[in-house]
Amino acid sequence: MQPSYLKVFLTFARNSLIRDMSFRMNFVLQCLSSMSWAAMNWGLFKIIYRHTGEIGRGTGWHENEFFIFLGTVWIVNSLVQTFFMANAEEFSELIRTGNLDFALLKPIDTQFLISFPRVNWAQVSNGILGVLLIIYSMFKIYSQDPEAAEIGTAGVMSKKFSWIAIPAFLFFVGCGATVMYSVMICLASTSIWFGRNQNLYNFWFYITNFYRYPMEIYQRGGGIGMALWCTFTFVIPILVVSNIPARILAQPLGSPWKTWEWGLAAFAIVASLWSLLASRWVFRKALLSYRSASS
Amino acid sequence: MAIIEIKNLSKTYKVYQKQEGLLASVRGLFHREHKEVHAVRDINMTVEEGEFVAFLGPNGAGKTTTLKLLSGVINPDGGTATVMGHVPWERENEYRRKFALVMGQKNQLWWDLPALESFRLNQHIYRVPKQVFEETRDTLCEMLDVTRLLGQPVRELSLGERMKMELIAALLHQPEVLFLDEPTIGLDVVAQHKIQKFLKSYQQERNNTIILTSHYMKDIEALCKRVVIIANGSIYHDGSLEDIVDRFSGDKIVTLHLAESRALDGLANLPNVIEIEAPKIKFRVERDEVGKVLSQILGAHAVDDIVVEDPPLEEVISNVFSEAEKSQEAELAARSNN
Repeated sequence: MQPSYLKVFLTFARNSLIRDMSFRMNFVLQCLSSMSWAAMNWGLFKIIYRHTGEIGRGTGWHENEFFIFLGTVWIVNSLVQTFFMANAEEFSELIRTGNLDFALLKPIDTQFLISFPRVNWAQVSNGILGVLLIIYSMFKIYSQDPEAAEIGTAGVMSKKFSWIAIPAFLFFVGCGATVMYSVMICLASTSIWFGRNQNLYNFWFYITNFYRYPMEIYQRGGGIGMALWCTFTFVIPILVVSNIPARILAQPLGSPWKTWEWGLAAFAIVASLWSLLASRWVFRKALLSYRSASS
Repeated sequence: MAIIEIKNLSKTYKVYQKQEGLLASVRGLFHREHKEVHAVRDINMTVEEGEFVAFLGPNGAGKTTTLKLLSGVINPDGGTATVMGHVPWERENEYRRKFALVMGQKNQLWWDLPALESFRLNQHIYRVPKQVFEETRDTLCEMLDVTRLLGQPVRELSLGERMKMELIAALLHQPEVLFLDEPTIGLDVVAQHKIQKFLKSYQQERNNTIILTSHYMKDIEALCKRVVIIANGSIYHDGSLEDIVDRFSGDKIVTLHLAESRALDGLANLPNVIEIEAPKIKFRVERDEVGKVLSQILGAHAVDDIVVEDPPLEEVISNVFSEAEKSQEAELAARSNN
């Protein structure tokens, strides 16, 4: 008889909420600090767009389009920090202290059990701000005469909003979160071999620095830019995490999508599946070397 | 029926040897020396259904490693083991639903939440039907007298109360086999006694197979008929508790309550006197000599009461441990010379 994974996850979420609520000041401060970060982030790009109308000529990343991109980044960030970040860090600690023993005893998939026990509810606030920013920016884009949206020197391009874009956006945000989750699990699993790995936050900071911007920045960045684009698209596919869902809603190059955009979307699906399988392989391989800790 | 079968089970750890000082640490960045620690060496053991076995040994003897191997937490380097027909390190869910491991030094309950929430989580993980879960939980809470503490965060429980909650969390799915690794460590005498009493009645009621490691001989005396002693990773003795006392304690302790305190003057010169508290005298005599010594004393002095007993189990076990370690070390030295 298989355990009910949904019930177990809901119990994790419930227990985490009870715990967060019992330290309410900590909860409020966490919400405030992550919302302040979002506000400062927004303010910075607001200043940048006072000096330019578009990031990269002809890319279509005008202010409103870019804020859809930014909102998408906040949502993915929020998903990662709500569901995975604390757990990936905790996993490293479980290995170091030998408390992973208890996870291995339970008749349930071990990767599932270590991936979701803590839900950091305070980080949901960032995601909500992301949704609000996207709705506001979309309203600004699509309430204008779509036929008249002038995009740099590329001429006049039409943007047509379709309701299918919403589930497609959610699907690709899911793909993005899967990629981020897989990267984190792979990194956390290395703790089994290294004994301790405290680089998760650093790594997260480095990586989010790259996926916070449209990929055109790298594509037009000469040799170094192309090297970064190739690395973060094909090796550690984090650029597709934010770029594909954001393009679905923002349509920087108008509709219909260009062939390469479709290709990139297909690649995002393959990349998320591939990274999930890779994380599973790394996790299982690492578990074989688990040696527990002295009691 | 054999529930646990272990054949030539071995586990070796590679342990980093760090020299003292900063320079050695810098050198360690480029070259590291490792030592092989044979935590478990070729052990063989069979445990029958319903047995309550004590697994004793000095610190680092390999007790916990053996329990971890039997729980499937770590993989062995050699040998085989089956528990209820399952190979533990294959980690089949069917197996993991049928046993539990309780570690006195580790905590599996959610620290900031009441134990009740952790119990509910285990209910879903082990898929225990609601009614069975509630009945089992209530029975266990009643037996361990912790019902009133169910709503209190785990971090606010005393060590003894927390250990009781750990036991309940481990027993909610009604395991057939229980591995208990020092479940009474750090507890006061009252809490120890309560847990002993609970384990005894629980095991008698359900006929579970239990392996217990503990450094408290009271636990062993109260619960286990069979004792396995492990030292340096190898089994040194496997038999009943009485066997151990017979085999490893050559002495008896005699306490005489003399009719007159004056008689103590004549007895104070006895070899191996432990204590004199007039009109009582306590001394150690070799087992074979007890009859002879007593008849001599009784012939010369009036005695109101005589108590002849085995030495305390702690003392016997401590002798066994040092003897076992010496013997294992000698064996290893002989092997390395060959």
